[in-house]
Amino acid sequence: MTTLIIIAVLPIVLLYLGLFKANKLLLPVTIIGLLAALGTAIMKWNSYDAPIYHDMMLFDNFSVAFSGITIVSTLLILMLSKGYFEKISHNVAEYFAIILFSLAGIIVMVSYYNLTMLFVGLEIMSVSLYILAGINKKDFASNEASLKYFLMGAFSTGFLLFGIALIYGATHSFNLAAIRDWVTAHPRNMDPLFHTGVVLIIIGLCFKVGAAPFHFWTPDVYEGSPTLITAFMSTVVKTAGFAAFLRLFSVSFISIADFWMPTLMVITVITLFVGNLTALYQHSFKRMLAFSSISHAGYLLFAIVALSAASGNAVFIYATAYSIASIIAFAVLLLVQQQLGSDSFESFNGLGRRNPFLALVLTIAMLSLAGIPLTAGFMGKFFMFYGALSRFQVWLVILAVVNAIISIFYYFRVIIAMYFRSSEQTALEVPGYYQFVLGFSALATLVIGIYPAIVTNLPNLI
Amino acid sequence: MNTFYFIAFLSIFFSLLVIFAKNPVHSVLYLIITFFTFTIHYVILNAQFLAIVNFIVYMGAILVLFLFVMMMLNLNKESEPNKSNLIKIVGVIGGGCLMVTLVAAVKGLAKSQPVVLQNPDLGSVQNLGKVLFGEFLLPFEVSSILLLSAMVGAVLLATKDPKQPKTV
Repeated sequence: MTTLIIIAVLPIVLLYLGLFKANKLLLPVTIIGLLAALGTAIMKWNSYDAPIYHDMMLFDNFSVAFSGITIVSTLLILMLSKGYFEKISHNVAEYFAIILFSLAGIIVMVSYYNLTMLFVGLEIMSVSLYILAGINKKDFASNEASLKYFLMGAFSTGFLLFGIALIYGATHSFNLAAIRDWVTAHPRNMDPLFHTGVVLIIIGLCFKVGAAPFHFWTPDVYEGSPTLITAFMSTVVKTAGFAAFLRLFSVSFISIADFWMPTLMVITVITLFVGNLTALYQHSFKRMLAFSSISHAGYLLFAIVALSAASGNAVFIYATAYSIASIIAFAVLLLVQQQLGSDSFESFNGLGRRNPFLALVLTIAMLSLAGIPLTAGFMGKFFMFYGALSRFQVWLVILAVVNAIISIFYYFRVIIAMYFRSSEQTALEVPGYYQFVLGFSALATLVIGIYPAIVTNLPNLI
Repeated sequence: MNTFYFIAFLSIFFSLLVIFAKNPVHSVLYLIITFFTFTIHYVILNAQFLAIVNFIVYMGAILVLFLFVMMMLNLNKESEPNKSNLIKIVGVIGGGCLMVTLVAAVKGLAKSQPVVLQNPDLGSVQNLGKVLFGEFLLPFEVSSILLLSAMVGAVLLATKDPKQPKTV
């Protein structure tokens, strides 16, 4: 709870700093505040608290782990914002504040124990993102992204809310434990309201995490939004969406897995193929990352399809690997974009000579996203596939491996452009904050890949 | 009971008119009437607070705002993009499937005691306040973050920049 309070109060402090034109202080204050929030979150580790405030929220190991990874990712992304927001307009404090408001919503989403809290958290996050997508007011693509995201998001929220209402109608409760008890009390009984509600909730949540066939908003929104916001959306927001998804299904709906599992399995397979095959044909690096984020949503869905006690850890490892690798990719994209003003694959030509450090960390990120051994991405995929195989989903794993091979093609296009194509561009300067973020993320990717015991030895999160 | 069926019929009738009206302004006007019938539903269910909120906020404020936006945008038939037949067919199939599921779900329900509320004061303002500030206090308070964020965002998007900075 302290974490949530700190993250909710921090943006108000930042707004005051903005009021007094203390723009230099914004980033340090944010970093200190987020570190404090991270510290209070980690102190809750292994505390085994009961749900608080009439069973509204539960801060257990699951919530601590996902709060931790979302706060760290937000920190890394905000460090990249040095000098970025100033180019859009003077209202820098407001941008920081809205990103942190959205993070407050995310903390609610990973710690809820009641469907009303899920809804409130999801809305806080989404409304902040609708605004963030459109902060580049003079840019047509940014406006389009914001409006599209808003309309689609509002529509999908309708589905989610309808699902929650139907489940309340059947079980007379919003409480996750009460819903679970209701399900165990009515075994083998196809309740029309309850099961329709579960399907509607699946639709609503798949929309939010960008799984096919509910992915149509993703490429346009990710491409149109300012790059830093896209980085936030495709890492932190996606992690939070999956954490919320996983908590609801692992606590409440696990005993009717036979009912929703086939639906989710079809969604997973479609997501994998749509994401990977479309990413092959992209000319813009940013759009490629958008489609690759769809395909990663497919891999993350594996943990929910093969729901078991190890699912929480699998999602945690995968989300960590994916987030840090994506942050590297977006950071390099930001630098290249600032130099050349373009996000096509050609603008990465000769990056190996222009700046060997950037080329090296981007190579590590691409290898991790493709799931090559000795990187964190490989460990993430390994645990996902292991979980699915232990549930005898052999065909699902075979399809996923085929997709992983497809994905190597488009991830390697960047590496080839960087090392084997030449360009006349001058060398690229890397500011200090970027060096820290890139170095830290690349190191984390390698450490988790080479010595995975630091994350795999965690106790089961659910 | 008959009042309920009459009002329910009116709700469905006007919501169909919302979809089928060619003129967007007419659409919004029908939507206002639809929301008015919802208000009557709430009154029948003895949910006075919801009825008043629905009447003032949705019908009064939001839809009138909608109407202004519609009039300012000045939409007419020529500016409406042509939707392909394929999309229409897919839409009908998708929507139809959802409708069949929902209708079947409602039909499969056992009938409850009609119109007999266990607690007739369930929807009164007093009871609602007790629930809101008792069991649901945390979501109620956390919603303030939502409103604050939306407020900051609205001001941010609506203000004019004094000087035109270079965009990225």
